[in-house]
Amino acid sequence: MGSVKGPLTTHVLNTGDGVPAARMALSLHRLDPRMTVWSLVTVGNTNEDGRCPGLITSDAFTPGMYKIRFETGQYWESLGQSSFYPYVEIVFTVSAADQSLHVPLLVSRYSYSTYRGS
Amino acid sequence: MNRLQHIRGHIVSTDKYMNMAATLPSPLTTHVLNIAQGVPGANMTIILYLLDPISSVWNLLTTGITNDDGRCPGLIQKESFIAGVYKLRFETGKYWDAMGMTCFYPYVEVVFTITDPSQKYHVPLILSRFSYSTYRGS
Repeated sequence: MGSVKGPLTTHVLNTGDGVPAARMALSLHRLDPRMTVWSLVTVGNTNEDGRCPGLITSDAFTPGMYKIRFETGQYWESLGQSSFYPYVEIVFTVSAADQSLHVPLLVSRYSYSTYRGS
Repeated sequence: MNRLQHIRGHIVSTDKYMNMAATLPSPLTTHVLNIAQGVPGANMTIILYLLDPISSVWNLLTTGITNDDGRCPGLIQKESFIAGVYKLRFETGKYWDAMGMTCFYPYVEVVFTITDPSQKYHVPLILSRFSYSTYRGS
C-alpha cells in the first residue's frame, strides 16, 4: 500500500556521530491563537532513519504557529553522554500556501541547526 | 592640543580604566549573525531567562538589544551566574519584519544547561529567514 508523505516532515541527524538520530522522542504542538496556549498535536519517536512519519494529516495542518519539541537531552543521555541543550524547540509559522514543509534538526552535543525544506 | 586638554585626556582615560575594571564582562555572551545578508544581526531584542527548578517557571533576568556588531554585552553579572537551566529568546520575527521581510521563525529560543558557572559560555545565533544554527562557544 502506498503512503503519501504528510504535509509536515522532520529528520533528525546526529552530526556528532554522523548517524541518523534514532529513537528520539519528539512532539508537535500548535498554538491556539485565541488563548495563546500550546496544544499537543502528536507525540512520537524518530525511527532508525531519524524520521517520524505521520506527524499530522493534511486536513489538520491549518495555517498558524507550530512548534516541534525534540527531546535531545534524553537522547544523549540514552547514549551515556551529556549535552548542552536539555531539549530543542523549533517554533515556525505555517501559511496557507505551505503544502509540504520539512523541518529537520541537525544536532550534536554542543550545537544544532535547522532549516526550512520542502 | 594645549597642556590642559592633554592633562584632561589622561584623567578621563584613567576613569574609563577604573570603570572597566569595576564591571567585569558577562560570563555569558551571544552574537547574532545574519548570514543571508552577511551582516551582524543588529537591533534584535534578546531576553535571558533562568528556570526556577522548584516551580518550573521561567524567571526573566535581562532584556537587551543587540548592538551594531550583533552583540549584547552585560547579559548577566558574574555574581548572578549560577548553575541551572537558562533560555535565550531572540526576537527573530520582529527583526526581519523591521526590514520588511517575513521569517519562518517568529522567535528562536535556545535552552541550555550551565553546569559550571566559573566557565565562559558563548551562545551565538547564526540566522537567515529560513534557517538558523547555534553552538556552545566560550
